[in-house]
Amino acid sequence: MDLAELEVELRGLQKKALSDIATTEAVASLDELGSSLLGKRGAITDLLRGIGGLPAEDRPKVGVIANEVRAAIEAALEARRGSVGAAELTARIERERIDTTTPGPAPRLGSLHPIPETIGAIARIMGNFGFTVAEGQEIEDDVTNFQLLNIPEDHPSRDLWDTLYLREPGRLLRTHTSPGQIRTMRATTPPIRVILPGRCFRYEAVDASHGFEFHQVEGLLVDRGATLADLKGILDELARGLFGPQAKTRFRPGYYPFTEPSVAVDVSWGGAKDGWMTILGAGMVHPTVLENGGIDPETHQGFAFGLGVERIAMLRHGISDLRAFLEDDVRFLEALR
Amino acid sequence: MRLPLSWLREFTDVQLTPEQLADALTLRGLEVRGIERWGATWNHIVIGELLEVGPHPRADRLQLTKVRIGKDEVLNVVCGARNIAAGQRIPVALVGAQMPDGRLIERAEKMGVASEGMLCSGTELNATDDGDGILILDAKAPLGVPLVDWIGDDVIDVDVKPNRGDLLSVLGLAREVAAITGAPLRSVARALQESSAKVGDGLALEVSDAALAPRVVLRVVDGVKVAPSPDAVQMRLKAAGMRSVSNVVDATNYIMLELGKPTHAFDRSAVGATLSIRAAKRGEQLETLDHVTRELDAADLVVADERSALALAGVMGGASSEVSAATSSVIIESAIFAPGSVRRSAQRHSLRSEASHRFERGQESALAPAAADAVASLLAAWAGGSARAGRLDSAPSYDAAERSVVYRPSRVRSLIGIDLDDAGQAKLLGTIGMVATPAKGASEVPVTPKRSVKVSGDAYRAIVPTWRRDLEIEADIAEEVARLYGYDRLTPHLPGSDPVGYAAQPTALRDVIRQHLAGRGLHEVVTHALVSEQLSARYAEPADAIPAALAESEGRAVGGSSAGELILANPLSVDHDRLRRSLLPSLLDRVDANLRYGANSGALFEVGRGYGASQGGPVEWTRLSLALWGEVEPAAPGGVARAWDLDEVKRLVAGVASHLDARPAYEALPDAAAGTLLHPGRSAHVFGDLVAGVLGELHPAAPEWRESPRILLVELAIRGLASGSPMVRSAIVPAPTPPIERDMAIALPAGVTVGALVALARTHVGNATSVELFDLFAGGSLGAGERSAGLRFTFQPESAGAADAAVETALDAFATAARKDLGARVRGAEGG
Repeated sequence: MDLAELEVELRGLQKKALSDIATTEAVASLDELGSSLLGKRGAITDLLRGIGGLPAEDRPKVGVIANEVRAAIEAALEARRGSVGAAELTARIERERIDTTTPGPAPRLGSLHPIPETIGAIARIMGNFGFTVAEGQEIEDDVTNFQLLNIPEDHPSRDLWDTLYLREPGRLLRTHTSPGQIRTMRATTPPIRVILPGRCFRYEAVDASHGFEFHQVEGLLVDRGATLADLKGILDELARGLFGPQAKTRFRPGYYPFTEPSVAVDVSWGGAKDGWMTILGAGMVHPTVLENGGIDPETHQGFAFGLGVERIAMLRHGISDLRAFLEDDVRFLEALR
Repeated sequence: MRLPLSWLREFTDVQLTPEQLADALTLRGLEVRGIERWGATWNHIVIGELLEVGPHPRADRLQLTKVRIGKDEVLNVVCGARNIAAGQRIPVALVGAQMPDGRLIERAEKMGVASEGMLCSGTELNATDDGDGILILDAKAPLGVPLVDWIGDDVIDVDVKPNRGDLLSVLGLAREVAAITGAPLRSVARALQESSAKVGDGLALEVSDAALAPRVVLRVVDGVKVAPSPDAVQMRLKAAGMRSVSNVVDATNYIMLELGKPTHAFDRSAVGATLSIRAAKRGEQLETLDHVTRELDAADLVVADERSALALAGVMGGASSEVSAATSSVIIESAIFAPGSVRRSAQRHSLRSEASHRFERGQESALAPAAADAVASLLAAWAGGSARAGRLDSAPSYDAAERSVVYRPSRVRSLIGIDLDDAGQAKLLGTIGMVATPAKGASEVPVTPKRSVKVSGDAYRAIVPTWRRDLEIEADIAEEVARLYGYDRLTPHLPGSDPVGYAAQPTALRDVIRQHLAGRGLHEVVTHALVSEQLSARYAEPADAIPAALAESEGRAVGGSSAGELILANPLSVDHDRLRRSLLPSLLDRVDANLRYGANSGALFEVGRGYGASQGGPVEWTRLSLALWGEVEPAAPGGVARAWDLDEVKRLVAGVASHLDARPAYEALPDAAAGTLLHPGRSAHVFGDLVAGVLGELHPAAPEWRESPRILLVELAIRGLASGSPMVRSAIVPAPTPPIERDMAIALPAGVTVGALVALARTHVGNATSVELFDLFAGGSLGAGERSAGLRFTFQPESAGAADAAVETALDAFATAARKDLGARVRGAEGG
């Protein structure tokens, strides 16, 4: 084959290719066509295999022609790919169009129970002031639950705690978290800043605001110069943390055998729910209790407070009946999520 | 303590409204539980004057009256009472009134005569307790005025704390009110005329144990005529919450309320020549005033004569010496008893009385003679009695010494955190009758009741009023100063101090796990720790479920499921009479409740304690328990939901265990360990050093079981659940090569578990980063009982091709071991 013949072949190939390209309707077919024309084993390469028989001076000319053909085909392919591709994309989008306004399948959302969550909230707030958490034992003995807390046997103050006793003599279910004060003081040395949350038990009929099982958080600080005013400072912060920045506390005298002076603490958070709600009892740790904890009341002073977790959770979440906490109705739990 | 304000005003002037007074008392530490307008239920009951009283034409029992209730308003009222006469002022219930018992007063025909209202008796008004007559009012009672405005009273109910027995009296509360208002406290002294007869004539007093009865005072009043008390007295007792009995009994109750000192009146004729206070004899019988015959204990203290016990000292009188209509002479006993002894007796006999309530709180010695005199004086006024001269007094000087407490004003300042100078403190104490002056020389400051410290200078001595038996130590003085200063005046301050060292948050790991589970759609619950015998019997953790290493931090029942339960001595009900050993029965109980509420799918978990007895005492342990039923997640529209099954539960357990980098393994639970709670064929023991426990489907024989949804249960001990933090993982720098996966299908003969196969694979192919079961089936070309397990091994070579030889060696070793140890055969392998 001479130069002229080869050129005719190439131009013919170009013509047919351009017409084929123009009638090809899919990007995948264009790719196939492209490689059948331009690929390693494609038609152009095939034709150029005969170039070896041409005189040396003709070979570059063939190269020029072949490149022109190649470029023309590539350009045509590119252009066609563009238009076919766009049409294909449009078609795909239409084909795949679905109704995206469906609500979506419901997730299975879990929840955390308001009692441990309220304890956690108190722990986080008190953590800001260096209080760490310790959880004590729920089965106590009379000595730690009462006597070391300055509540002697046969003292009328025992009437403040209706107690559930185990059959084993001297064993009872703790009526409050306060025995943790003794255990903490005996296990560590001042300065002490600790909160003691946990389950407590009382011989008490169940109604909307009482249960025989409930939760308390005890707070204890023992240091050299702790004062009642410090207690007020801390409890103001706790009230703000629990009930919002407007919350205020009111101190009034209270009575607990293990604190002296003793305080009853009311909280008010302004707004819709006006008035004072009693939320906790507190006071300066009684010197006898400090001594029972192995701490010299001449060198150290402390304050303690105890609050009912259910009551706080009820106030925070607007719950009117504490039986809901142990009922564990999923619908109740979901609403508090 | 119910305090009628009319009574209070006899002791001190009060200008405050009841509400203001209640607030002031509450801020002083005398919490007011309620304010009541006594008589507020008397609607449409007014004061009238009887103009005429005449016979009824047709009924002898009835009388016709004309009652004026206003200037020109006269009512015709038919009345059945006989104690009325023209000119008297009486309460009239108008038409439309509702009586305290609910009866409505209507215009009525009474034997043919119209009645336009009703004249009221004290009983009908619930104002007095003595029967039939119309309540005759004072001649000064204003006409037409609502009755409540004339004889009504304001009553405030004060919650008196156990340390302030002195406040269980009008006098005690009046002292506090006077201290608040600054108004003087009046003494309500009653004159007492004594007769020439001597108290000791024919009566002796013997106290056999002065420790239990430190002071006993007797008075004798002769010539008593037992009758109802005056109406005003009855009404006052009613307002204070006590029933009127007779003038004699009312006199003792009146003085108990007024002074806080219980006394007892014996019928003199029922008492022999000697009144003694002694310990009861074991088995001695006493019929108390409530007509219950009680067998006494040697620890009971009784008032007795030479023949028998007459009263349970400080608690309740006896029937044999009860004052009756025939009584003409009474012995008034006014004593100080040991508080603990009275409390024990009252508890032993389940007899808590107003008297024992006060004796338990301790009594001021000086009140013993004062109350005896006051009662005698009231008996003279109300019952025509005449007191014999003198008293019998077993210990006139008992507790007569002046008591004082030395305190350091500087310590008071430092306890309260206020800047109130020494004189200011002393001045405040003065308002409640405590004279505080600088202590001279060296003195002893009582730091606790048992320990004093010596100080010189910087100390004050406060003389304690005789009625304040609660003031013993320096801190008590600080409380009084704070209370009088006003707690509401404290300036809040944040404690500055030595910094407290770091302590790990014990709930850190627990909180991560709780949040993990909530994120997986589980609801956290809190269930009762106290359960019934039936519930407790349903499940207890098998003895070997928790390895010793894990039990050390998380606890476990000593001796396992057979370990003793902890049972209450005084349960509230059989539904909650013992501590749970496992959380699972309580949790299942909540599942059942939720199913009944219509929750066909759900997932609950609880982190809580189990409890058990051991030889070393009670044990508590912490567990995570889960209960799951129905769909894991709602299906997408048109899709199919996955249901909770053992695989889904294991996926959940693996997720929890991942926080400890633990990989739980499973082995079949022995049928006995599954008990009646877990399906013996579908339960497993979760084992590992970090996470261990049980999981399974609910036993098909359980009452809560249903074909669908199935209920799945898990109880786990987790290292650090009681107190621990999530682990901090070491980083892995991934090699720049993709992981290699190899799959192997192995036929297991009948009886060989996948758990055993996987354990073997993990042993022999230690260089695999994971071994997963991706396929498990039976049937097809497999032999009878055979199952094919598809294991996928994943390896991470350090560089391309580096691990090939090691992988092949390990897999070959595993294949050989599976054949030899388990009788398994390798059906094929692929990948690479």
